[in-house]
Amino acid sequence: MVMVYQYIGVLIGIIGIIFTLLRFREGKMSLGMLLVWNIIWILIIIISIFPRSTGEFASLTGVGRGLDLIFILGIIGCYYLIFKIYNMIENIEQEITHLVREIALQRENIESKKDEENKKIS
Amino acid sequence: MLIETDEKPDSYKLFPESDLQIWMIIPAYNEEKFVGKVLKDLFNLGLNLIVIDDGSRDNTYQIVLDIIKNHPGRGYIYQHPINRGLGATLKTGIEAALNKNADIMVTFDADGQHNPEDILPVCRPIIEGRADVVIGIRDFNEMPQHKKRSNQIMNLITRIFYNANVKDSQSGLRAFNNKAAKALDIESREYGVSSEIIREIKHKNLRMEEVPIETIYTDYSLSKGTNAKIGFKILVKMIREILK
Repeated sequence: MVMVYQYIGVLIGIIGIIFTLLRFREGKMSLGMLLVWNIIWILIIIISIFPRSTGEFASLTGVGRGLDLIFILGIIGCYYLIFKIYNMIENIEQEITHLVREIALQRENIESKKDEENKKIS
Repeated sequence: MLIETDEKPDSYKLFPESDLQIWMIIPAYNEEKFVGKVLKDLFNLGLNLIVIDDGSRDNTYQIVLDIIKNHPGRGYIYQHPINRGLGATLKTGIEAALNKNADIMVTFDADGQHNPEDILPVCRPIIEGRADVVIGIRDFNEMPQHKKRSNQIMNLITRIFYNANVKDSQSGLRAFNNKAAKALDIESREYGVSSEIIREIKHKNLRMEEVPIETIYTDYSLSKGTNAKIGFKILVKMIREILK
């Protein structure tokens, strides 16, 4: 018997793939991230169609039930993403600070030069 | 409009015996109440000033601009278009001062908590070639209780994480010579910068001296600076740095 969550899973997977492909086409996603995300979405589709398959993975890794394995992997994946995003934000903050400093230094330079020129004229 | 002045530039009044270029670095964030008085006092001592407005939302920039216009060649203001924190501001100031070929750079808070007369004692060890960095030490016994405690905790944290034992790790009045300023590698954007400077002094083997300074406590200056919340933030940052 096909359960409702299987339909939902497949649907989410397909939508996910479409979105990642679109983002890749717009140049907003790197090839590496495209691959990683598509693997995740395809796995979700496979697991939705063959829910039993998780049981085999689970027994391979020693985790009791298939669903548990998915949860564990999901949580690890989320943490990894949070870590990655955190680092990205930190880098962006640093870059912004660098830009702000450059802007401040250059603006002052321009002002000083203007003042000097005014001085020469007068 | 520029006005030619007969005043002798280059910190003449304060240090008549020295040819060294001394530049004050004054970070200012929403300091419209006191920055004007602080700048006037420092100009009257014949010092060169670099003010960095860290994206203030009040009138700080205009007030500073109006004052430095009357002291051509001796005062400059740099403006961060957006607020980036004390650490980022000090770094901008140091870079600007290095561009002006400063021999000695003195960081000085814009909230009026420092006594301008302390600048000479803080610079002296550098002028006499004994030190690369001088930290002005505030008297903890004169501090209000809550300030004293949070500063003591910051000293302890600085000692644990950076293995550097200093009497006042969060002081805003410090002096660097050219060599020290170039060596400092500051990454912290916010208040953690004070501890980071201590770390850098240790890592880069700079000669440091500590000189007692006076602190002028007003209701206003008390509301700023290191408090428990900022202390906690700095702690989290330091832990993170170790885990990196």
